[in-house]
Amino acid sequence: MPEMPPATLLSALEGYNLLPAIVFMPTRRRCDQAASEAALARPAASDTRREARREFMRSFVEQHPEVRSHRHWDTIIRGGVASHHAGHIPAWKLVIEKLMSAGLLDAIFATATVAAGVDFPARSVVLTGADARTASGWRPLSASELQQMTGRAGRRGRDNVGFVVAAPGLHQDPLRIAQLLKAPPDALVSQFRATYTTLLNLLDAFGTFGQVREIAERSFAHRDSVAQLTRLEKTRAEATQKIEQRLEESGYELSVSTVLGLERLIGARARLQEAKPQTRAEVFSRWLNEVVKPGRVVGVGRSGRRLVMVTEKRDGNVRGVREDGSSASFPQERIGRVYAPVYRLRERDIEQAFEEIHERSRELTLPEPRLRDVHAEETDALKILDDSIDNLLPPHIAGPDRQRCTELLWELHETAEDYERASRRIDALREEVWLPFEQRARVLSVFGYLDYEAEKVTERGRWLADLHVDRPLLVGEALENGLFNTLDLKQLAGIMAALTADEDRDYGELELDDAIVTSLSRFEDIGFKVSAEEWKYGVEPTPELNFSAAGAAVLWADGAAWSEIVRQTRAEEGDLFRMFSRTGEALLQVAGLHRTHPQAAQMAAKAAEVVLREPIR
Amino acid sequence: MRGEGRKHWDRRKYRSKRPNQKITAHPPPEKRIVPTRDVKKLLHGIGTPPPAPFKPDPFQLEALAMLEYEDVLVTAPTGSGKTWIAREEIRRLLGAGKRAWYTSPLKALTNSKYQEFMDEFGPQNVGILTGDRKENSDAPLIVGTTEIYRNQLFDSLRTGREVNSDLVVLDEAHYLADEDRGHVWEEAIILTPPRIRLLLLSATIGNAGDFASWLEEVRGVRCGVITGPGKRPVPLRSALLLPDRRLLALIDETGRVNPQVTQIIHETSNA
Repeated sequence: MPEMPPATLLSALEGYNLLPAIVFMPTRRRCDQAASEAALARPAASDTRREARREFMRSFVEQHPEVRSHRHWDTIIRGGVASHHAGHIPAWKLVIEKLMSAGLLDAIFATATVAAGVDFPARSVVLTGADARTASGWRPLSASELQQMTGRAGRRGRDNVGFVVAAPGLHQDPLRIAQLLKAPPDALVSQFRATYTTLLNLLDAFGTFGQVREIAERSFAHRDSVAQLTRLEKTRAEATQKIEQRLEESGYELSVSTVLGLERLIGARARLQEAKPQTRAEVFSRWLNEVVKPGRVVGVGRSGRRLVMVTEKRDGNVRGVREDGSSASFPQERIGRVYAPVYRLRERDIEQAFEEIHERSRELTLPEPRLRDVHAEETDALKILDDSIDNLLPPHIAGPDRQRCTELLWELHETAEDYERASRRIDALREEVWLPFEQRARVLSVFGYLDYEAEKVTERGRWLADLHVDRPLLVGEALENGLFNTLDLKQLAGIMAALTADEDRDYGELELDDAIVTSLSRFEDIGFKVSAEEWKYGVEPTPELNFSAAGAAVLWADGAAWSEIVRQTRAEEGDLFRMFSRTGEALLQVAGLHRTHPQAAQMAAKAAEVVLREPIR
Repeated sequence: MRGEGRKHWDRRKYRSKRPNQKITAHPPPEKRIVPTRDVKKLLHGIGTPPPAPFKPDPFQLEALAMLEYEDVLVTAPTGSGKTWIAREEIRRLLGAGKRAWYTSPLKALTNSKYQEFMDEFGPQNVGILTGDRKENSDAPLIVGTTEIYRNQLFDSLRTGREVNSDLVVLDEAHYLADEDRGHVWEEAIILTPPRIRLLLLSATIGNAGDFASWLEEVRGVRCGVITGPGKRPVPLRSALLLPDRRLLALIDETGRVNPQVTQIIHETSNA
């Protein structure tokens, strides 16, 4: 169902006395368009209403002069409609909210993100679709999101009834909206996670990893884990007790660890048996899994005569290039032969590769594994395990005693199994909570902010704990390397903007001068070093630097006028505002390090002052 | 969510079908719609109520009473008067010479609360702390972002200086489920000393009881749950507007989807 033209929509709503309304639109652009279109197509408002709006906005301009030049000024005064979304500066959004609560607007076109946060109710809330737009496409609205939106319908003290109206739209689905309206609210789900800042602060405050772990285990996310841990620990203690008691009754001098040792050996034996390949095909297929990889030439078909250079392998399927240059795609199991060399995947190298394979086919063919060989290896392993099981009992226990002890061990096997199972679950749960902290602790330790062995925050770590920025470790390293001491105010603003801006938002492609490019790439180099360690310890990758934000921030820090920035970057004012505001906050954080890094702190304080000038405040 | 068998109204279906006579493109705006009996029923009572003096809802009073003895989690829809509870409790505390912290997730909200509280309690009694604003930070009432409050807790743990407050209000507490920033709310809750009363104001959530019992476990303080007013402060009705400008009730007063709506959707997708 195509969307109604906005003026038609408003006139229909007006016919039912459903205005003022908040009309939710999928994108910022649609909000802006709808407001402009509606303002043009609607019948003109009465002079008094127009005058009232003008009067109201003029008085607002006294405090917030930046709204005067807004391109929607006339839209509002003439049409009594406005667009409200994150692309606008806060002052503009504020004037819209105030106009709305003064009863001077008939409609606001807004994106769903606006529904959260600031409170500006209307008589009706209009939904033009049942989906929400995201960076990666459309997804269904959730019950909570819809609830946030419908929460704006009906003004307390000014409306007897509020309305939610499903209006025509491309992504409209009235039945789904009805269903969501009746749905129970979504449950609150914990998003607890480990961060450098949290780890440093908690460790510095409490003094041991154990206590940091205890805090982490108290999070809402791990609440169930804690209950589970308690249960499992009880199971484990009971198992130990049972084993001890039985051993004592027997009168033999056997330890609990002997019983548990048997369980482990038996477990290992069972796993080995299970994993043992039974057929030649199974052995071959496992071998292919290991050896087929991009850069290797393989022979396809039983004879293995048709050659293909593998370029990609995924889920048991292989893609590659044939000798004639055409591409090929086939299941891995069709491979009959694999050649040993691994080539680079450049066109030139591929041609040479095929030649070489033809010339020395026989010697380059990887030998296939034989079932017999594989089995021989496994049999050896099993024998070792069997011997260990036999030797579990100390040699001095012999004859009928040895027989009785063996029986006793086997009798306790089931209890030992309970013990081991509980232990494994406990380790896994503990790991789940603690691992992300441990990984970060190791990374911090590499860079000297934390002493992993001593479980202590170092001098360096103390100031890093106070640095509340997006990637504290990167900024910390830049400070330690003295990079910030070499920067002027503009460069420092540029770097902090590159760090704090949303990774994939575009702030225009302003030209950067050499000095800034050099400092950004030095910053990036430090970033690589940090990321390399993070990668090594399994800390998830951090977002990349946004060079386009740096360009905009340099220009702003250079004193350019707001209108100039908006014009040159072609970015939305709201996005620029947020980015500069966060840049300013990050600079203030660096400025707070005046004791440990006086030079950088001083420069950061100056840069913050420039960045946080009107209208950024 | 996009249920099997359920008809989804989208462009594809409309493109491939001949225009349906019942639901056509937009008729000329001047055509007047004569309200049917159904529409009259749907719109019954629409308009502005006569002015009435403010009277607190029972749930608001109940929350205030609970706050004397325990933490309180209030879950209620937007606009139903959660802030009133916080404001009255703050008024009581300030009157008794005590102190409070009011946290909110957004700078815009923080700024507007700052203004609101200055008007209410006098500028000398209110301070603000955000990432780029620090004013009157020794005032008995501090308004700030949740991050800044959490950072103060960190500082207090590391230096041993106690957070000087008797009440902490966590506005928009459902931000705990925010993917990027939610962990800050949890840390704030876990690290707030039990002697400080917590008042959490949240949108309606599905697991309020569960959440409150976690609060109790983690803080060792009883936590009362107030699940908003049973009804919304202003009742809500739902409607479907058709391209020919007809208006239909979407869900009828018994809570069922209006059969007319189901029929129309069925017809359009089969046309």
